[in-house]
Amino acid sequence: MTGNYRKWPMILFLGIMTAPIILMYFYLFLDTITNSPPGSLIPNELTTEHWRFLWMTIPGRPSIWVATWNTFLFASITTLIVLVISSAAGYSLSRLNMPARSFFLGGIMVLHAFPTVTLLIAIFLILQMLGLYNTLFGVIMVKASLELPFGIWIMKGFYDTVPWEIEMAGIQDGATRFQVWTKLMLPQVKPAIMALGIFSFLAGWSEFILPLVLAPDNEVQVLSVYLAALIADDNNFDMALFKSVGLLYVVPVIIPFVFFQNRLMNIYSGGNKG
Amino acid sequence: MVNTTIESTTDQVVKARIGRSTGPQLNWLQKIGNSKYLGLYLLAPAGIFVLLFFVIPVLLTGVFGFTNMSTATGITGGAYLANQSSMQALGDRHDMAALAEQINQVVYTIDETGLTTAREAGISAATLMELRAKFLGQSFDNRRDAERAIKKLNNRPANTRALKVLVKYFERSVINTRYDSKAEILAAIDGFGVSLTPEQQAAIIDVTYTGWVFSTNNFKRMISLPDTKKTLINTLFFVFTTLILFNVGFALVLAVSTHYMDAGPAGFFRSVWLLPRITPPVLYVLMWKWLAWDTGFISIILGPFGVEPKNWLLDSPTNAWTFIILINGMVGASMGMLIFSSAIKAIPSSLFYASEVDGATRAQQIRHIILPQLRFPILFITCYQTLSLLTSFEYFLLATEGGPGGSTEVWALSTYFKALNNYAGALEYGYGAALALVLVVVGVVLSILYLKLFDFKTLTAAPKIE
Repeated sequence: MTGNYRKWPMILFLGIMTAPIILMYFYLFLDTITNSPPGSLIPNELTTEHWRFLWMTIPGRPSIWVATWNTFLFASITTLIVLVISSAAGYSLSRLNMPARSFFLGGIMVLHAFPTVTLLIAIFLILQMLGLYNTLFGVIMVKASLELPFGIWIMKGFYDTVPWEIEMAGIQDGATRFQVWTKLMLPQVKPAIMALGIFSFLAGWSEFILPLVLAPDNEVQVLSVYLAALIADDNNFDMALFKSVGLLYVVPVIIPFVFFQNRLMNIYSGGNKG
Repeated sequence: MVNTTIESTTDQVVKARIGRSTGPQLNWLQKIGNSKYLGLYLLAPAGIFVLLFFVIPVLLTGVFGFTNMSTATGITGGAYLANQSSMQALGDRHDMAALAEQINQVVYTIDETGLTTAREAGISAATLMELRAKFLGQSFDNRRDAERAIKKLNNRPANTRALKVLVKYFERSVINTRYDSKAEILAAIDGFGVSLTPEQQAAIIDVTYTGWVFSTNNFKRMISLPDTKKTLINTLFFVFTTLILFNVGFALVLAVSTHYMDAGPAGFFRSVWLLPRITPPVLYVLMWKWLAWDTGFISIILGPFGVEPKNWLLDSPTNAWTFIILINGMVGASMGMLIFSSAIKAIPSSLFYASEVDGATRAQQIRHIILPQLRFPILFITCYQTLSLLTSFEYFLLATEGGPGGSTEVWALSTYFKALNNYAGALEYGYGAALALVLVVVGVVLSILYLKLFDFKTLTAAPKIE
C-alpha cells in the first residue's frame, strides 16, 4: 500500500534511534565474558572470572542461588494467586449480574491505575504490625494484591470477547452458571490466562520497590534487591560482575519475551508502567 | 483454590437454603452455580485481597498523613517519658519552666520499696532495720543530706563506697523512667511530692508522650518548606517533558515509521523498543550507568576528542535531567507505540491507496489520514501516562537518587525518601504519608476524570443472560 515511498530513510532513522538500546544489550552480553583494556571498548581476552559469583558467594551477600530461588518463589506464587483470583473475578464482572456491579467495575478501573508509592508507607507499617515484615509471604501477598486490579481488568476484557452464544447454549443444556464458567468459558480464554500468567511472572521477576521496602534482609532477598545492593556498594565497584549478575537475572525474562512476544504486546498495550 | 474459598464462604448459606428448599434437591455446587449471588462469590477472594492490601492501605495513608508518626514515636502506641528534652519542652511550649525544675529534681526517700530492694541486693539487715526504725517515710532533697543521715546510724556502712551504693536504692526520680499510661506518670509525679493543677497535668502528658499523635503539622510544613515548591516544579517539568517528547511524541514517530516498513523490520523495531519495558528496572538502569559512568561508553568515546572522563549521569543537573528523561522516556514510548500502531492498522488501506493514486506525499498522508485517526488514542495515552509518570520513582531511585544535590527530586521520590529511606535513619512516616496523600488525591481525581472522558458506560454494559 505504500509502494510509492522509499523505505530506507525510515529504516535508517529508526536504526540510529534504536542503536543505543542494541549497543547496551550487546555490551551487556560481551562484557560478561571478556576483558577490555582500560579506555577501550574492544575486548582483548576471553574470561570466566566475571561469573565467579555462581560458585563462590560474594562476601556479605547471600548466595546467588538463594536469591534466585527467592525470586522464583516470589514470581511464581504471585502469578498463581493472580491467575486464580482474577480469572474468577474477571468472569464475574464480565458476565454475571450482581448488586453494585458498576461500582466494582469503577473501583477496579481506578485501582488499576493506582500508584504504588501512595500505598507503600501504609503497607510497610501494616506488615510491621502483622509481623510479616521481612518475609516472602508478606511481600507476595502485597504484590499479588497490587497486580489484581490489572489482572481482573485484563481477564474481564478477554471474557467480553467470547460470544454470548456459547454460554447461552450451555444454559439451555442445563448447566449452571458456575459450570458454564469452568467448563465452557475457561477453555475459551486459555490464551488470555497464558498471557496474563507470563505477564505476572515477568512483573514479579522484575519487581524491585516492594521487596526493597518490605523484605530487604539477606535470607529473603530477591535478585533485584541483590543486584541493586551490589551496585550501591561503593567499595567493590566491578561493572563486569554487575553485568554478569544482571545477565543471569534477565535471561528468564528475555526467553519468554522472544517466544510469546505477540501475546505480551496485547497485554503491555494495557500496561501500567511509566 | 477458588472452589475451596467459595465453599467456605458460602457453605452456611447454602445449607440453610437446602433446608428450606421445596423444589427438587440440588447438590450444593448446583445451588451456588445457579445462585443469583454467584457473581459476588466469585468476586469475594479478589475483594479480600484488594481490601487488605489495597483499599485499607489507601485509607490508612489518609490517617497516617494526619499524624506525626516517625521512627522516634514508633508505630504502635507510645509510653510517657520525662527526660531532659521533654522537660525543656515543658518550659518552652507551656511556659512551665518552674514545674520542669521541680520534676527534674532527684530526692532520696527511705521507703519500703527501697528497703526491700536493698535487702534483696544483700545489704546488711542490721543497717536496714535501723534505717527503717529511724528514717522510714523521710525524704531528703539531695544526696548529701541523705548520706549524712545514714552516716549517723550505729550500723552504718563500712566505707564511703558502700554508703553510696546504699543511698542509690533510695534515689527517687521521675526523670528517665518509662510509664505505660497517663495515670502512672501522674501518680509518680504526685507521689514525688509535686501536686499538679489540671493544666499542668495536660501539659506534662503532652510533652512526655513518646507515641504518635494526630496533628495537621505535616500539611503546614509541606506548604511552608521551600523544598516542596522545588519538588513540585521538578515533577511537573519531568511529567510534561517526558510525556511530550517520548510517551506521545516518540511513540508517534515509532508507530508511523514502522507503519511505512515491511513486516520484518517493523516487527524488529517494535520488539527492540519493548525491551526497555520488559527489562527489570535494576538492570535497565545499570546499562544506562555503564553508558554514563566515568569509565563507561560515553567517556571512552569522547576521550580521543579531549573530553575529560566523568560521570555524565551526575555531573550537572542538566545532564542528570537528560538521562532521567531518556531512561523514563524509552520505557514509556513503547506503550504509546503499541496503541498507536494498532489504531493505524485499523485504518482501511483503501484510504492509503486512494490518496497515493491522487498523488499525496507521505507527509500529507500522515497529516490528513493517520493523525486524525489517532486523536482518541493520543488523548488516552496522555491521560494514562500523566498519572504513571506523576507517581513513578523507581528509575529515579536507581539512577540519580534525586541528585545531584536534589535537582532531580520529584514528588513520589521525596515521599519515599521521607518515609522509608534516608541517610539520617529518622523515618518520618507521618510526613511521608501526607506527601503520598497528595498523590492519592491527584490520582483519584484524574482517574475519575478519565472515566468520565472515556465513556465509562460502554465499558460496563450490563450482561445479557439474566
